[in-house]
Amino acid sequence: MLKYLLKRFARSLFTLFLILTIVFILVRQMPIEGYFSNFDKMTETQIQNGLEQMGLTQPMWKQLLNFYTRLLHGDLGTSRVYYRGKPVWDILRTKLPLSVQLGSLAILFSMLVGLPMGTLMAKYKGRFPDQLGTVFIVLIQAVPAAVYYLFIQLYGTELLSIKLRFDEGNWISWILPVFSLSLGNIAYYAMWLRRYMVDESNKDYVTLARIKGAGEGRIMFRHIFRNAFVPMAQYLPTSFLNTVIGSIYIESIWSIKGMGGLLVDVIHKQDNEMILGIVLIFSCVGILGLMLGDLLMTLFDPRISFTKKAGEV
Amino acid sequence: MGLIKHPQVERLEQHVTEALKEDLSQEQLFAFAPFDEEEAERAGVVNYSYWRSTIRAFRRNWIAMALLLVLALVLLFTFIQPMLPGQFTPTEISNGPNGLPLKNQSADSVHWLGTNAIGQDLWSRVWAGTRNSLIIGISVALLEALVGILMGVLWGYVRQLDFLFTELYNIIDNIPTTIVLILVSFILRPGMGTIIFAMSITGWIGMARFVRNQVLIIRDRDYNVASRTLGTSTARIILRNLLPYLVSVIMLRMALSIPGAIGSEVFITYIGLGLPIEICSLGNLINEGRKLMMSPSLRYQLIYPTIILSIVTISFYIIGNAFSDAADPKNHL
Amino acid sequence: MMKKVFALTLALCLLIACVPAMADGGTYTVFYSGEVSTLNYLVTATTWDQAMAANVVDTLVEYDNLGNVIPCLAETWENSEDGLTWTFHLRQGVKWYNCFGDEVAEVTANDFVAAMKYILTPEYDSAVAKQVFSSGVVNAEAYYNGEVTDFAEVGVKAEDDYTLVYTLADPVPYFLSATTYVTFMPAYGPQLEELGKDFGLDNQSLYFNGAYILETFEPQSEHLLVKNQNYWDAEHVYIEKINRLYNAESATLSPTAALRGEVDSASLDNDVLDDWLANHPELVTKTRSDLQYSYFYCFNFNPQYEEEYGPANWLIAVNNKNFRYSLMAAMDRVYSLTAEDAENPASLLENVITPPAFSAVDGVDFINLDAFANTTSYFYDESDPEGSAAKALAYKEAAVAELTAAGATFPVNVVLTYKTNDSNWAGQVQLIKDQMEGLLGTDYINVVLYAGPADSFLSATRRSGKYSIMRCNWGADYADPETWTDPFAAGNNYNFMDQMLETDNAETVADLNTYYAMVEEAKAEKADLNKRYNLFAAAEAYLIENAFILPYRTEMADYQVTKLDVFEGEYAPFGLCNQRYKFMHLHENFVTAEENAASFAAWQAALAE
Repeated sequence: MLKYLLKRFARSLFTLFLILTIVFILVRQMPIEGYFSNFDKMTETQIQNGLEQMGLTQPMWKQLLNFYTRLLHGDLGTSRVYYRGKPVWDILRTKLPLSVQLGSLAILFSMLVGLPMGTLMAKYKGRFPDQLGTVFIVLIQAVPAAVYYLFIQLYGTELLSIKLRFDEGNWISWILPVFSLSLGNIAYYAMWLRRYMVDESNKDYVTLARIKGAGEGRIMFRHIFRNAFVPMAQYLPTSFLNTVIGSIYIESIWSIKGMGGLLVDVIHKQDNEMILGIVLIFSCVGILGLMLGDLLMTLFDPRISFTKKAGEV
Repeated sequence: MGLIKHPQVERLEQHVTEALKEDLSQEQLFAFAPFDEEEAERAGVVNYSYWRSTIRAFRRNWIAMALLLVLALVLLFTFIQPMLPGQFTPTEISNGPNGLPLKNQSADSVHWLGTNAIGQDLWSRVWAGTRNSLIIGISVALLEALVGILMGVLWGYVRQLDFLFTELYNIIDNIPTTIVLILVSFILRPGMGTIIFAMSITGWIGMARFVRNQVLIIRDRDYNVASRTLGTSTARIILRNLLPYLVSVIMLRMALSIPGAIGSEVFITYIGLGLPIEICSLGNLINEGRKLMMSPSLRYQLIYPTIILSIVTISFYIIGNAFSDAADPKNHL
Repeated sequence: MMKKVFALTLALCLLIACVPAMADGGTYTVFYSGEVSTLNYLVTATTWDQAMAANVVDTLVEYDNLGNVIPCLAETWENSEDGLTWTFHLRQGVKWYNCFGDEVAEVTANDFVAAMKYILTPEYDSAVAKQVFSSGVVNAEAYYNGEVTDFAEVGVKAEDDYTLVYTLADPVPYFLSATTYVTFMPAYGPQLEELGKDFGLDNQSLYFNGAYILETFEPQSEHLLVKNQNYWDAEHVYIEKINRLYNAESATLSPTAALRGEVDSASLDNDVLDDWLANHPELVTKTRSDLQYSYFYCFNFNPQYEEEYGPANWLIAVNNKNFRYSLMAAMDRVYSLTAEDAENPASLLENVITPPAFSAVDGVDFINLDAFANTTSYFYDESDPEGSAAKALAYKEAAVAELTAAGATFPVNVVLTYKTNDSNWAGQVQLIKDQMEGLLGTDYINVVLYAGPADSFLSATRRSGKYSIMRCNWGADYADPETWTDPFAAGNNYNFMDQMLETDNAETVADLNTYYAMVEEAKAEKADLNKRYNLFAAAEAYLIENAFILPYRTEMADYQVTKLDVFEGEYAPFGLCNQRYKFMHLHENFVTAEENAASFAAWQAALAE
């Protein structure tokens, strides 16, 4: 297992290298106009000058080499537009914790609500709790987030009599953003857990357990839930990442100083170093997440194995 | 957890119970029973067809059937609506008595849902938008499913490909979609084809991973190991052993990816990379309407497209779930 | 005794009730979504960045609220006989302060020299270097290009600490106005020397000498500007603090925030305007319009779009004057302007390229000079729809005959380009398509709405010739009509008309030659300003009357709800003085439409004097 993990880790580094290289090359295909705020009134010499200053006139391999040399020295570069002259890491360092806090709270809250909800729905399949849950899930799925987030903000702030802007120091201010951010996840968890649990409950081992006289509660949790949770577990790390990245609407309307809209923002501004810095962080989390997800899956279901060869039982 | 019983099974059970109750003599008990065709019919579910049973199970869910009808009607109506009398085209501008555009007019007998900020008829825009959004959603879902399932099964089943696909997944999943979208929108002209292409180019990998995970879970189950030991070809194992098992979850996923695609069109419009104005879609209708959220008297421009979007999403969701239940072979008997 | 106090209080209350209550000394709070990308005002050309600089650093001269030049850092100034030397005598005792309000040093002439040297150093990659070249400072361009290596040869000198001298290569009539732009702002020399490229990274790496000190600068979060208590003109700075709070959705949220008292000002988009006019009509006021920009429709002489839209066919059509006249006469500009200002579209309309009140000859506004007497006759007249339609159709008839002979096919595809995420613009092109096709007939033109990307829009559209007709805009680089000829000069990437000079389109070539000759003549006239302006007016009128350019609108005056009286602020045809909060009072309540109208009337009256 350890050998497998080490191998997997080495491979992840390789993946990271591929991602960064591809993104590096992609952002350099963006139109030149985006690099200048005053493009229209610049002379050709000025434009060339500017591009040279940014190191964009060098051959691609040389730019890449410079980039990786810097990266190996732990230097993510400096922002060019977003916060001119500020080291990328300094910018991200202040934003990451807030997003992580917000994301963790949202995921925690979603799991606390979503998993019991899914279980209850599966248990009372076709009956009132199931129908109620379905209505909730359907509504969340149906109404665009862009609309109900704004709705929650508009009326929620009035209800709690707080300001429209998020205030980090005031805990009441956290409620609405975390709640908004959780809604989608709650629906997602409940929906899939219910689906998997219903699928599991039709299986022979459940019938066997029932015949053996195991209590319904024991069947539900020891057998069905555990098996149904396997495919869910794999998604948890990714879903955390998606929550952080997907918080763009939330962070925009509440003016939260997080990572949510940052990537889209710096891409629009063509702040290359920032793009690469954020991509680096997100991909690290993403790749680790995939690894962790697979690991969680083997942990919950010993039958799944990545190390055994096909045909071995 | 009651099982839904197949009527034939129920009849068989009844028959067995009845038979057990009969009081038979020793002779009768040990006499050879002659082959009775009628009795054999009763016991064996010989004419079992997967799809027929699925459809039968599905038809029993009346809510889903009703919503399927609603969806079909909505889809049909989006095509019929332009042919009805007294309709405006979605881009046509109505002028008021002063010769200027009849803007933000609330609903009346001419404009059934009112007009937008430049005097276009909201009723026809909502329907045109629904039509275009459904086309986008269905195209994207089909493309994603086609490529995703194929790749996903290979990924999950063929161990040698796992490395390649995991690599590919990591790369595609981690390259920000926005960069791809911006580059695509810069290279290609904004339009339906472009947006479908841009959404599918990165979207299939999600489906592939989903299928891969499902395959991984059941790949090494005993019945597959048995098949393999018996020398069944990989293709046959995939087609016969794996895919039917996956139909239920795949259908649910597909049913959800249609409204998902419509929803992400809303997002793409939000970040400014959407469709051109001549093609209205629920995405740009909702984004236009979103700016009016704070204005109670104009909010109707947000509400109507949202209602349609909700109906479409709800229908797909319920139908997807019902079909997924129906497609599970365990629910057939 | 008690009674007396009561009566006094009552009287005081009544007094306050009469005049709008002021909250001077208070904090003015707003949401913003466009972030300041750098505080280094010597390198940036972005409006947001310059708006910040305008309030924290002073210029040599500034404007009053009627557009008159008044002393600022320079107490007096004189221009030499030949117009080549400008000498500024600086105010003594003005100090630089850091972000904590501590005094650092005195502002001297050397700081202006150091700042200019910084801008002209290519290494610092200043986006405004070109504006220094165009203001005529001797050897500026040569130094930038490395042809002159000694900065002493550049035309800016500190004769002593309080005397600053600029030497120009040619007399530049608009030089004084040019000094109100960032290119002529001072910066503390030793600090520039020390920080180099790192100047202005944050509020601790630059010094302030203006009305405000930037106490807090957290991008994407908050800016806090605090009044500089030691400011040389502190008595004219009435707002104590300006607090700008970041919100990416400020356009959507600000109006609500204003109603809830969280902000003191919010602009009202076209989207929500109807609602506000219905529910809070008394609070809706308008900003003072900005004179520095002009919008006009260009006919493209270098169509580069996809073959399917027939660029070759357009090229034939656009070289026909009657065809251009027909489009010009058919476009109901007021109608399409409803997409931008539904309430009062006609107020945006412009019949010449130069914006109103930009310059004047003997008290006559440039746009009302005799040269422009005839231009309106070529446009659609919304007061006479039938007559206008008849005129347009007459041009159409002539154009059809001529173009058929020239080998063009009908309908001619007219590619109308707009920006995909600009909802007003998108609305506008839809209105134009509907209206023009309706008037001229789809047998004649087929308007193709062509969406440009949200990012790098101009590169993908105008600059690469991807349009037939398109709304273009230009902002003044200096306060002289010459600036409005720049977008049409040879080698331009606006309408590419100069490219026709090499072709055999005899009529177009002749028209262009005449126009360029007129521009040259006007540029050469440097002594007699009145004559110069009249010559520029004649050239501009020629461009319009021969249907190369269709003037469209001025910069919009936005609708807003605010606690500021917009007519108190500085009023300048050029430069960044317009962005200053100096001279403005903060009202206790939102300025009502009535008060706004009254101040507008008073301001108009004062302007007329």
